[in-house]
Amino acid sequence: MSSTSQKHKDFVAEPMGEKTVMALAGIGEVLGKRLEEKGFDKAYVVLGQFLVLKKDEELFREWLKDTCGANTKQQGDCYSCLREWCDSFL
Amino acid sequence: MSEFLEDPSLLTKDKLKSALLAHNVALPNGDQKKDVYVQLYLKNLTAQNKKSSGSPDVFSSDEELPPAPVVSNRSRSGRKATRKTDKVRPEDVDVTELSNEALKDLLLKYGLITGPIVASTRKVYEKRLQKLLDQGPPETVAPPSEMSQTDGSQNGNTDSDHYSDKEEETVAPAPVFVPEPEPEVEAELIPVVERPIRSRGKTPVTSRTRSGQHNRVEKVSAIDQTPRTVERDVLKEIFPNENLSTPTGISATCRRPIRGAAGRPVVSDTWLDESRLRLKELRETSSSSTYTETRSVPRVTAVPLTASKPAAPPAVKTRARRSLPVWVQLLLLSAVAGFLFFVYQAMETNEVGLFKQSGADDSTSK
Repeated sequence: MSSTSQKHKDFVAEPMGEKTVMALAGIGEVLGKRLEEKGFDKAYVVLGQFLVLKKDEELFREWLKDTCGANTKQQGDCYSCLREWCDSFL
Repeated sequence: MSEFLEDPSLLTKDKLKSALLAHNVALPNGDQKKDVYVQLYLKNLTAQNKKSSGSPDVFSSDEELPPAPVVSNRSRSGRKATRKTDKVRPEDVDVTELSNEALKDLLLKYGLITGPIVASTRKVYEKRLQKLLDQGPPETVAPPSEMSQTDGSQNGNTDSDHYSDKEEETVAPAPVFVPEPEPEVEAELIPVVERPIRSRGKTPVTSRTRSGQHNRVEKVSAIDQTPRTVERDVLKEIFPNENLSTPTGISATCRRPIRGAAGRPVVSDTWLDESRLRLKELRETSSSSTYTETRSVPRVTAVPLTASKPAAPPAVKTRARRSLPVWVQLLLLSAVAGFLFFVYQAMETNEVGLFKQSGADDSTSK
């Protein structure tokens, strides 16, 4: 069993649709707000950024850190959440 | 490696002076303006740079595409006063001023294949390029690896964090489990297979089945989890059907019931021998038709009947150890029972018979 959170499991279980960015694993209220301020108001927009960065882990982590100040754990959670979602649905 | 900074103006005058002195540069007398020292520094360092790598002049270009060796100037030793910000770039290697394409090309030189550089991704790529520039010229730089974060932290002290999220991918236990259940599977398979393939030798088989069956009882739950394919492979390995002549490859062989389990009485073969002896006794004593004996007979016969029943069905698969096959014994038993019943019928009916009507028919005493 992997050590993923409930949030992660919930997110990767179904198409994200119009879920807010706070539905992403690793993104809570504070980070979510910051992302929204930057214009990333929906999870799919962050997904878009993830894809534009060619799903590269380092780039995405850096981007996340720059954009909303996520720490390493949050970066990792968000990255693995999106990656797994892409594996299932993309 | 020549020690110099890309932006000597960031250094203090004193540091510039000391650096110049270190390189045996004659300092102008008196306290000059910082710019003088900066120029001297750059000049000398450029010269050194030329010596070491033969690269063209650092100052030569404000071009968008500086020649690659220019980047060699970027190696730094004195990190203290440098770049917290990416903005101050006297040289052309100002990543923020590069066009998207230029940025992409530079990154390509470092072996980094980038995605589209759009507004949202530009910053990340700029940072990446900056990091790469810090490492040195593209020729000397390996494919971009984990380096210090470009927020100004000079040396990567968070490198370990970057690797931390790979842990969940370890699927180590799976291969480990395979050898573990295999002995269990083997033990479990043996009694299972015993049923179809039972033409083998007696004692080794039975002992194996005994232990296997015990294992089976204990480890059923564990065994259920084992992949069925493993079972079948092991099955085929252990019990190839070469000895069998039956068309289906299955021969009916004995499977001993587990003694002492499932409420069965703990008995051994000696009990069966005893029952056989008892049967013989019954046959012998059947001629003396006393009431007590006849009374006891059904009971006694019932007991061996019922007791031998659990033994019989599994024991139907013959074990050559028995002197007589079980079905023969059963036949004998029924014959004896029938005989005794007939005798009972034939007796004088002083008491209430078991079967009044049949007793009346068969009784010849009248």
